[in-house]
Amino acid sequence: MSNPGMSDPKATRLARMALALYPPSWRARYGDEVHALLQESGGLRDVASLAWRALPAWIGPPAHLYDRPARMRASLSTGLVAWSFLIGLGLVFAQLTQFQGLHPAGHPIIKASYLVFDAALALSIAAAGFGGLPLWLLMLRRAHREHRRRDVAYLLLPLIAPAAFLAALGVTVRLVGGADGVSPGWFLVVTLAGFAAAALAAAGPGLAMRRLQPRGLALRLAATAGGVAAAAILVATAAIIVAVTGLCLWARGFAGYHHAAIPGVYLALVVVAAAVTAVSAARGTRAALADSARNVLV
Amino acid sequence: MGDKLDRWADPPLLVLASLAGEPKHGYAITQDVAQTMGVRLSAGTLYAVIARLEARGFIEPLEAEDRRRPYRITAAGAKELARQSERMSRVASLATERLQASLGWAGA
Repeated sequence: MSNPGMSDPKATRLARMALALYPPSWRARYGDEVHALLQESGGLRDVASLAWRALPAWIGPPAHLYDRPARMRASLSTGLVAWSFLIGLGLVFAQLTQFQGLHPAGHPIIKASYLVFDAALALSIAAAGFGGLPLWLLMLRRAHREHRRRDVAYLLLPLIAPAAFLAALGVTVRLVGGADGVSPGWFLVVTLAGFAAAALAAAGPGLAMRRLQPRGLALRLAATAGGVAAAAILVATAAIIVAVTGLCLWARGFAGYHHAAIPGVYLALVVVAAAVTAVSAARGTRAALADSARNVLV
Repeated sequence: MGDKLDRWADPPLLVLASLAGEPKHGYAITQDVAQTMGVRLSAGTLYAVIARLEARGFIEPLEAEDRRRPYRITAAGAKELARQSERMSRVASLATERLQASLGWAGA
């Protein structure tokens, strides 16, 4: 009835891979026991069942393993990176349309999309900035007080990376820019550098959160504000999709929009980033609201 | 094991029944369930059940021995097991009674 156990390295590696599919809290609680069980009596059927059961462990984690502050921190970290990517994509959209004077007459839907995009983007940035500021200040103060230089550096990245990018952009435009701005090649370089700066700026607070593990009201506020910022950026995303589709359909003469492949790739990136932002924000906000309700009741 | 309804055996009840005797760790539970109830619980099923039962307060972990952690049934778990056993007994009695009445079946 019992299997001889998984002693050979290949089987052990398979078991480890199956366990890696589980949420970190689940692995931390049951990982050692499961590994010991597999070594005593496990077989490939056990590894397959372990892998199969990983999905429900993510969808409905057992209540005693559900760490709300950890959930909020993870959602904020992931959401911030995806949100920054969306902001970058939004700015590319604005640069290639509104800033170029692409206002096709006779197409009120495109014009309305521009307005909705501007308002939603501003709201999203304001929500993220004001909602995240207390948590950022709290972590910065603690990192400074405890002389955690690396964490201070991580926390300053949202200021340093965009400032460095803008300075480099100013120098680049002055050196290589003409009357009509920079060439398409330089535009690509500048855009990629902008995304790199955004990634750094977003990753910094996430790394600091992972190390400092903040809890409490500031974290809940940031997670809730993250939900508002995500909702607003999703509205901006919808406006981008409408505007780009409208430009492709009705204003094909404008620069770039006669090549359907480029807007197609752009919209695919927008949709993926929007989906990641929405899922992360929803999970973080849910944890924040549940944590608030618990604090009220306890 | 040849019983075609085996796959519908409720793993949480099997684990609770196994722990009703004495505390056991994962390997001991699978061995006990296999030997006494003829059901092989895979590692994925066993630990999904353990996590669920622990979350509901029906079992609780004891101090780990090496990497193996024993579990014991709680009062709430024992009460739930008794409730389910009573329900299954009623189903068994009813089934036996009706089989006897309709088919003249007298049991194995």
